[in-house]
Amino acid sequence: MSLPPLPPESYYDPKKLDKIFAFVAIALLLSLIALFAKDYSRPWKDYQRQFHALEIEKARVKLDQLQLDLSNNEEHQRVLKDLKAAQVNLRQQSSQQEAINRQMRAAEIIQKIHTKESQFAKAQYGALKYRYEKAVHEFSPDAAQLKSQWDALAANIENLRLSIESDDTSIKSANDALALLQKDVKELEKQRAGFAKKGEIIEHRLKKIDPMRMSAANQLADMVRDLPFLELANPNYKIRQIVLKDIPEDVNFMRAQRVDRCTTCHLGIDNPDFVNAPQPLTAHPHPELFMSKNSPHPLDQFGCTTCHRGRGRGTDFISAAHTPQDEEQKTKWEKKYGWVELHHWDQPMLPASLTQAGCFKCHENQTVIKTAEKLNLGLHLIERGGCYNCHTIKKYQGWSKSGPNLEFIASKSTKEWAYHWIDDPKSIRPNTWMPSFFHQTNTSDPLSMKRSQQEIHSIVEYLFANSKPFALDSAVPSGDAKKGKELAASLGCLACHNVGAQPGLDEGPQGRGGHAEPVRTRDSLRREFGPSLVGLGSKTTLNWLYQWLKDPTKYHPDTRMPSLRLSDQEAADIAAYLIQDKSPIVDKPIPVVDDKVLDGIVLDFLKKSSMVSESESKVKKMSRQDKLVFAGKRLIREYGCYGCHQIPGFENEKPVGTELTEEGSKDVERLDFGFVNIEHNKEAWFKQKLMNPRIFDQGRVLEPLDKAKMPNFDFTPQEAEVITTALMGFVKDRPSPSKMADQGVKAAFINEGAKTIRQLNCQACHIIDGEGGGIQSTVTDKSFSPPNLFAEGQKVQPQWLFEFLHAPTPIRPWLQVRMPTYNFHASQINSIIKYFNYLDNQEFPFTDIYHPLLSSEELTAAQKMFSKDYFDCTHCHIVGNKLPAGTPDNWAPNFALAAKRLKPEWIVKWITNPQDFLSGTKMPTYYDPKNFDASAPGDILGGDAKRQIRVLRDYLLTISEHPLQVKQAVSAPEKAEDKTLDIHAR
Amino acid sequence: METIKHFINTIAAPKILFNIVVLSYLIIFPPFKFFQKIHDALGVRRLWTKKGGMAIFSLMFLAFAFGLTDGNFRLIVLKPDNVPIVALLFLVVFFVWLALHQAQDNDDAIAKGGKPKEWAESREKVLVFPDLVYIEFIALMIVAALLVVWAIGLPAPLEQAANPTVSPNPSKAPWYFLGLQEMLVYFDPWIAGVVFPTVILLGLMCIPYMDKNRKGLGYYTYQDRKTAINIFMFFWLVLWMFLISIGTFLRGPNWNFFGPFEYWDHNKLEALNNINLSELVYMIWLNQGLPSNILWREAPGFLILIVYFGLLPAILAKTIFKDLYARMGVVRYSIFAVLFLMALTLPIKMYLRWLFNIKYIVAIPEFFFNI
Repeated sequence: MSLPPLPPESYYDPKKLDKIFAFVAIALLLSLIALFAKDYSRPWKDYQRQFHALEIEKARVKLDQLQLDLSNNEEHQRVLKDLKAAQVNLRQQSSQQEAINRQMRAAEIIQKIHTKESQFAKAQYGALKYRYEKAVHEFSPDAAQLKSQWDALAANIENLRLSIESDDTSIKSANDALALLQKDVKELEKQRAGFAKKGEIIEHRLKKIDPMRMSAANQLADMVRDLPFLELANPNYKIRQIVLKDIPEDVNFMRAQRVDRCTTCHLGIDNPDFVNAPQPLTAHPHPELFMSKNSPHPLDQFGCTTCHRGRGRGTDFISAAHTPQDEEQKTKWEKKYGWVELHHWDQPMLPASLTQAGCFKCHENQTVIKTAEKLNLGLHLIERGGCYNCHTIKKYQGWSKSGPNLEFIASKSTKEWAYHWIDDPKSIRPNTWMPSFFHQTNTSDPLSMKRSQQEIHSIVEYLFANSKPFALDSAVPSGDAKKGKELAASLGCLACHNVGAQPGLDEGPQGRGGHAEPVRTRDSLRREFGPSLVGLGSKTTLNWLYQWLKDPTKYHPDTRMPSLRLSDQEAADIAAYLIQDKSPIVDKPIPVVDDKVLDGIVLDFLKKSSMVSESESKVKKMSRQDKLVFAGKRLIREYGCYGCHQIPGFENEKPVGTELTEEGSKDVERLDFGFVNIEHNKEAWFKQKLMNPRIFDQGRVLEPLDKAKMPNFDFTPQEAEVITTALMGFVKDRPSPSKMADQGVKAAFINEGAKTIRQLNCQACHIIDGEGGGIQSTVTDKSFSPPNLFAEGQKVQPQWLFEFLHAPTPIRPWLQVRMPTYNFHASQINSIIKYFNYLDNQEFPFTDIYHPLLSSEELTAAQKMFSKDYFDCTHCHIVGNKLPAGTPDNWAPNFALAAKRLKPEWIVKWITNPQDFLSGTKMPTYYDPKNFDASAPGDILGGDAKRQIRVLRDYLLTISEHPLQVKQAVSAPEKAEDKTLDIHAR
Repeated sequence: METIKHFINTIAAPKILFNIVVLSYLIIFPPFKFFQKIHDALGVRRLWTKKGGMAIFSLMFLAFAFGLTDGNFRLIVLKPDNVPIVALLFLVVFFVWLALHQAQDNDDAIAKGGKPKEWAESREKVLVFPDLVYIEFIALMIVAALLVVWAIGLPAPLEQAANPTVSPNPSKAPWYFLGLQEMLVYFDPWIAGVVFPTVILLGLMCIPYMDKNRKGLGYYTYQDRKTAINIFMFFWLVLWMFLISIGTFLRGPNWNFFGPFEYWDHNKLEALNNINLSELVYMIWLNQGLPSNILWREAPGFLILIVYFGLLPAILAKTIFKDLYARMGVVRYSIFAVLFLMALTLPIKMYLRWLFNIKYIVAIPEFFFNI
């Protein structure tokens, strides 16, 4: 075999290699160009271009509009005309001006020469001083000569100073003369500038952004500044970001400063000019609250993701973790932006429907978060539903249990009633807040139904077997149900309780299982504060009811039910009325106790802690009663009944539910979606769980004790959504204290008081802080409803308020509605007092000691004003035990209370203009606010309105319960004598 | 269609799939006469012709295309992270085919009394420049362009800040370590994570010192280096590439096995009741309790280890590796045998686990010593 010949040159064909090289080089170049192109073309740049164009357009339009307005503005035209005339006038006096100017210039030159000379002299002065001092020190013979030179120099400096000052004077006088000459022009010029200011600002801005108005150099720069590579210097289109150090992001065991780049695309978010611009350039829909500089949440202080969540560093639609709020929006986004869910981001943006959840983390301490209505309703539902009883929520620590006390249940109800009630509370009382534990989707198979029956038997048996004795008065006066009905309606019971249909809810289907649901509002929730009284007759006895109405605290010391100070007869009447309403369900037969099923329940519990054989022998030894009580106790623990009710034997149990304090930050992986086909996110899970708490057991094979146990509140989809809003707000990450709402002691006191007011449901009757007063709809005449407590802190003295809340005494005895006596703790009363006072910006200790001081002249004046001839105060107001003449709907509070009750400053403000405090009040406005002094009666105290009001106030403060002085002044109708009222009977 | 998918899912179960792979391997690279006969009967050598190569690749592409019609398959295979592994599957097959294709040509030539192709080429001279440098530069540019295009098309999947309380499920090692991670299923961490990687590196270093065979230097051949290629290919293809592919495509949440068309359900549960050898011997076979003495308790395991590492090399030297022993000498042979047997413990333990649920041969948790 012969060797192949060695190749003469290279092994490969170089030409071919060159070709390949060329091809590959081009491919590489193209790939690199593609790389830069991809890096350069970002979606946000398109938005910024759009915005830029829109901004220029808007500025141009605005400028044109302004100029048009100015040209149509007569005042402006006049100024321009005058200015022109003045300028012409000034030009005519040019010779004069020239002369002054010449004079001034000459004076200035001379002054400059003098100043120079003075500077030289001063320098020499210092040097000479040193030489002189040195000569004196060395006993030099030159000393005397130096001294005389020095003195001469000092005199020279003094002279120069005088010359400079006189030069000043001549310059100033020349200046003044010139100013006088130009005065008109300058003044008009100023006016013209005032008109043109707005336009100039826009013009200035336009010069920066509008290529049409730029200088040539800027135009060139504008063209190239956004080109690739060059853009790193100072581009038009760049990522904009807001860095927030004090609202950090929680990055798992660490906090990182929040960086929001949302404004890279949402460029007009803080600019009201862009309200109607398309997304993403549009302005925030609520500029008065967010983003704008004067709002409480300016953009540079709060950013965007603080409230909305999402990925602040994201600069495109998907990477910012936008979340669609419904299916429709989702499909729209998928089409428009190619939206996909951003995995790997634990806190995606809140869907628009839940945005208010973002408020909670800073406003946690507030009872009502103003304008966050959805969140407020959610929190209110959580409160009324008593979610915090089973699920610890930090905000609600220390709140009282939601359900009635069951420690003495045997004295109140029967086992039959209790069985039916636990079995299906809504069949007895469709509008009850007691949730349903049984007949749920995971306990509806025949086997579970049987088990449920025995479980209910066990629970009832435990409750009644452990019920403590409670003595009831046997003697109940016979009551009149008809009268009772009237009393219940007039005394104010209906503020918190409802008898019959749901309060505040329009005619809707009874029962809340259906779909066409009446809508709950915070107002309606306040009116559902106490339990519904439907079917009360089947629940309890007349005796118990009578006793309860007389003194609720006797049965349940911690109850929120206040005493209405009912007389025996009143209590008997109301009891007779309420006991009439009986539920037919309670008469239905109850399934019998089935020992086999019961044994199974008991065994299930026993086997958890002991051996099977041991458990079985134990069960055999137990009597039926033992089994029921044993199973009952275990079941109450399983279901957590003690969360809402006081039950003997469960005083120190921990709540059964998951803690919800940081539920909104929970990882979605920790939620069990089972086989339920919904979106895998927190909000969908919460909503589903709230609408049907047992749904996630669907399709699972579970032992009875492993099943979901949360009871069903039959929330409507809307209610589930508002509660979800609140739940999503319960998050882990907190801003630094400087960003929390309500800083400072005053705010803390206001929050504390608002909480007490919420807990006692004061707003069911009173309008406080602009909210509440739902009772008005049950009161026939608005003037008979409980008072609006607007500016209560300005109005009443704290000492009086304390005493009043502690033991109310009627102020408006003609009202049927009664202010109840609450079982207040002193700290609660104080919190309410502080609430009212701090709400009205009163300073601690909220009151000054004031002694009315009247001269005899003033006393006479006061009495005169008080009389029928002038203000006729007693026409409406009660004085001591004297009643006014008219019908009670025109009566007004007793003057005798004023000294103790009212703050002196408030009386002045009140008399000055009552409508300021209470628009629509019947108190007449004696002094016209628009024409204050002139409206005062001229013949009293020289017509000095301020003094009149002060005197009137001081006079009122002297009125005691036996107004001796008043008698002289007041010419009350004779019949008034008979109309005395026994105030203290009520 | 669903039946086919179901069938593939079924045979993807490790017990079956591993057997199929091992069997295929034995037929393709027959170490014994028995398999050689099957190899010949099936005409496996036709695979290494150009037509065979076309057939292999057509089949692979067809299978891949078929798989892509399924949503679950797409979900896993097209994940940006997994793209390199898909490429790896094709590349490995291609290069194995290429090597064996050339080897077969050479072997045929040698069998006819000729010389391998490289023999002629080795006489030629090739200039470093332009021949080598130029084509290297071109290759470099091609790879650079490829990487750039890849990076544009499938950007790196950036995730959020790590949360130490939430582990991703499944938690997977980088793809090149997935073989090691798979070993963790069968061995104690100190063996799978420390001893084996060390031994693998040492063993690879040892190869040039143990393999004195000068045949096959400088040219592709199979027949002249049969034993070496067979052994290497087993560990390379079956115990490394195959395990990486399994780890990437078939190990899902909770490290459970999922067929290629199966949905990765986080709730899937598999019964995993494993026992130790000592428990098998004493409790199941002898029907008595475990001895309290640790050594006595683990005696069966130790016995097996002594037999495996002490006697087996000697037996092998007298039987299968007779020629090898003669060629290598005592020292080389001993080192080779120990390394070989150690490597073989992996498939052995895989079989023990799958067929007998055996967890450890020697289990002394008291001293964290488990084999």
